[in-house]
Amino acid sequence: MIRQPNVILGNDKILVTMGKKGELFGFFYPRRDYAQHVEESLVCLQIDNRLMWTNNHEWYSTQHYLEDTNMVITELVHGIGIKINIQDFAHQRASVMVRKYTISAEKDINGTFFYYSNLCVGEMHKKNSAFCDPDVGLLAQYWQDNYIGIMASPPFEQWQVGKAMDTIWWTNARYDMEDGKLQNNKEDIGYLNTVVGWDLKLKAGQSREITVFIGAAPKRTQLYKMMLEIVQEPVNNMLENSRQDWINWLSKKDLLKLSLLDDTPETKQQVLEAFNRCLLTLDLLNDPKHGSFVAAPEFDHDFEMCGGYGYCWNRDVSEVAVALLNAGYPEYCERFFHWCRRTQLSDGSWFQRYWLDGNTAPSWGNFDHSTQIDETGATLHAMYTFYSTLRGLQKAEFLENIWITVLTGAEYLMRRTTDGLHDPCLDLWESYAGSFAYTSAAIFAGLKAAAFMARAYSEPGLASRWLERAELVKNKTIEKMWLKEGYFAKCLADGKLDPAVDASMIGTFTPFNMLSATDPEEREMILSMLKAIEERLSVSVNGYHGIKRYENDRYIEGNPWIVTTLWLSKAMLTLANSLHNAPGTDTEVSRLVQGAVNYIKWALRGTTSTGMLPEQVDKHKGYPAWAIPLGWSCALMIDNILLLETFSEETHDGKI
Amino acid sequence: MVRDLYMFSRGEKALVVWFSILYKTNMGAEAKINSALGEMEVKIRFAYLDNTEPDGQGKYVLFTEIEEETQVDMINKRLLAIDGIIDVESGISRNRMIHSVDFPLNFLGERALITRSKTFVDILKIIREHVIQPDGLLLLSGLKGGRGAAKYVRNIMPVDMKNCMAVLRELFLASGWGKLEVDFDKESCSGKVVVRDSFIADAYGPSDLPVCGYMSGFIAGYMTEMMRYTFQVREVSCKSMGNAVCEHVVSPAPDGVKPEHIMKEEIQ
Repeated sequence: MIRQPNVILGNDKILVTMGKKGELFGFFYPRRDYAQHVEESLVCLQIDNRLMWTNNHEWYSTQHYLEDTNMVITELVHGIGIKINIQDFAHQRASVMVRKYTISAEKDINGTFFYYSNLCVGEMHKKNSAFCDPDVGLLAQYWQDNYIGIMASPPFEQWQVGKAMDTIWWTNARYDMEDGKLQNNKEDIGYLNTVVGWDLKLKAGQSREITVFIGAAPKRTQLYKMMLEIVQEPVNNMLENSRQDWINWLSKKDLLKLSLLDDTPETKQQVLEAFNRCLLTLDLLNDPKHGSFVAAPEFDHDFEMCGGYGYCWNRDVSEVAVALLNAGYPEYCERFFHWCRRTQLSDGSWFQRYWLDGNTAPSWGNFDHSTQIDETGATLHAMYTFYSTLRGLQKAEFLENIWITVLTGAEYLMRRTTDGLHDPCLDLWESYAGSFAYTSAAIFAGLKAAAFMARAYSEPGLASRWLERAELVKNKTIEKMWLKEGYFAKCLADGKLDPAVDASMIGTFTPFNMLSATDPEEREMILSMLKAIEERLSVSVNGYHGIKRYENDRYIEGNPWIVTTLWLSKAMLTLANSLHNAPGTDTEVSRLVQGAVNYIKWALRGTTSTGMLPEQVDKHKGYPAWAIPLGWSCALMIDNILLLETFSEETHDGKI
Repeated sequence: MVRDLYMFSRGEKALVVWFSILYKTNMGAEAKINSALGEMEVKIRFAYLDNTEPDGQGKYVLFTEIEEETQVDMINKRLLAIDGIIDVESGISRNRMIHSVDFPLNFLGERALITRSKTFVDILKIIREHVIQPDGLLLLSGLKGGRGAAKYVRNIMPVDMKNCMAVLRELFLASGWGKLEVDFDKESCSGKVVVRDSFIADAYGPSDLPVCGYMSGFIAGYMTEMMRYTFQVREVSCKSMGNAVCEHVVSPAPDGVKPEHIMKEEIQ
């Protein structure tokens, strides 16, 4: 089932996705991409012989992050006068999610507080096994080396381990909850559901706290040890330690003034919060062990409507890692490029997408004609971006370690561009086959990056060869794909040009700089491209305009995308930056910057209530529409904000 | 024949009575019937014209509410006296609810629809082919429907252990699911529900295994909700397996059951 989260949380061991009402959508352990152990996990009250599921429409909810952390506060209010406050966070060190519930009532209530779960441990509905150990107050479910345990403080008073989908329906935990009393079945196997319960008696105005711990471990003994230790810790200590950890992590970021936005303090505040939120989000999408990132936490496990997002694409992560680098977090680049070295294919390219541990993921790009050459170019480009920030011994060591990767990657690009324009392959949207301006630009940037590193590695011959090819790629792309209307064709396939406008042509300017803003003729080409995109891809929603990917886009309603919108604004800011302080350009600079700020505002209006940036925004309703949160969207938001900051640094009056 | 169409009235005392009037289809025949009914102040709650009679004949079936049983004979006589009337039959409904036949259709207080049993069975078959534990899923689906039906019925009319199975029989008939024969011992809470002409079995075609698990679930949910007691219902023979009827065994859900006992089939 496809469910888009409203919020995520985690630590270096677990990743959790949740809905607006605090219901779990995903619990990933031991990696961010695998395994997802939860089908349902939420609270239900039994009051007046009625089950009140907290994800029911009767509950009004608000949800936000605790400032500068990945800790979540959810408030649920029911019309009969019951409030539930949930503080959700991952334990500072352990693979445990802490769920602190505070239940309060305006009138006397006498019922039961249930914590219900339908787990599919190891992503398996079948062959699971669950047991309750009442002596220690642990309910655990397992499959092979995946153990998920539930403990609580105070300990639960009753429980049921039941069959979720069997003809012996009376053992089903959902049905067992209806009378408020559970059967206390201790163990079962198969497709299971479980529930633990507490009597809930409250006088009007009283409140009660119940904390649920959901832990994951590879072995039963480890689960017991970890959970028994955790449950002894004061919850408030855990909360404070975790909060402090996140604040410390965030304190490493580059400080922003954003004086450019001084006249609009509300926008400035929103932008500053978005910067922090994007950084915190990207950390959760990163696999700290392997260095890779998921594009987004997986939400379409069965590929019902798309190919899934819980994998690592080199294209996306090249953007993400560089954004983190520019924001003050170089360590993500280092780990990612180490991962790249390990995952590069023998022909020098990178596969369409990978599992986070480096295994190739489900793919529709297994052949030369269906691979995405841009991913190899983007990876080399990002490597050089990182390399150029290094100094001294660290720089030399990095190059020494990465040189073979660069060499084989560049030679792969050479083989795929013998005629200048690249061989037919899939585009970055993974939908069209042919040659593309974006792909050419990525190859151009990849070859140049490799050439610069070759020079540093004392390989001037290779450097010259690669630079020469880069220029050929650029010239052929302009010659064959630039239209007289003033933009790049979407595609060249079977000798035919598709004249549709595609926002990805921005890549020829940023990040790949195939067209340079310092060259007057190329600057005009850039301006002309951006104009075509604004004229033909704008979608009005949420009071501003977002940018869709290309004309006649059919994927998920053809919504405007955060990525393409922030890509356009990034290009506008980059262009404005290049014109800045040049005589007679004030009006143009101001137009570009103001336009970019409006696009950024549009992106901020498309987030979830907790500030998660999606891939798309619903073109009718303005809601976050797909793949929440998307790493690429976060990276582009960071890029945009850092560009805004350059104006703040350079302008004296701090005004647009 | 006019089937007692599970027609209920919300009136506490009123009887729901049906009249089946066979008449010659002369010009103005229906108007004469309506005129006579109007004179007797018979309020029609539901009626239909049956167009499947031989040429030259029509059948007009109507349902009405009346206070006194004696009025039925009076109405019969008055109708028979109308020129062109061939025959009049009548009967008193045991039940008291009327469900809508206007758009949108309404059944048991909810929006309803008419579907071919083949369509329903196609869905069941796809579930069987693609879902893990399809028997459990179908039983749980039926269970939910049965509980919902019981709650609705209990809300609109007095039902108890004595009449709840009769109402279930009416429900099955009214919805076209099949004809029920119930043999249930209240003391032991066990028995048998036979379904004749089950729409699932009829549409499913030959099968090696019973296919009416959805109905088992419905019966279990209905009985559990009505009798406040947890029932296990299992289909032990099915028309799709070549039997004349489908047979669902009703028994108390095992108390304190251990999964290993079920796996070893120690509990049937």
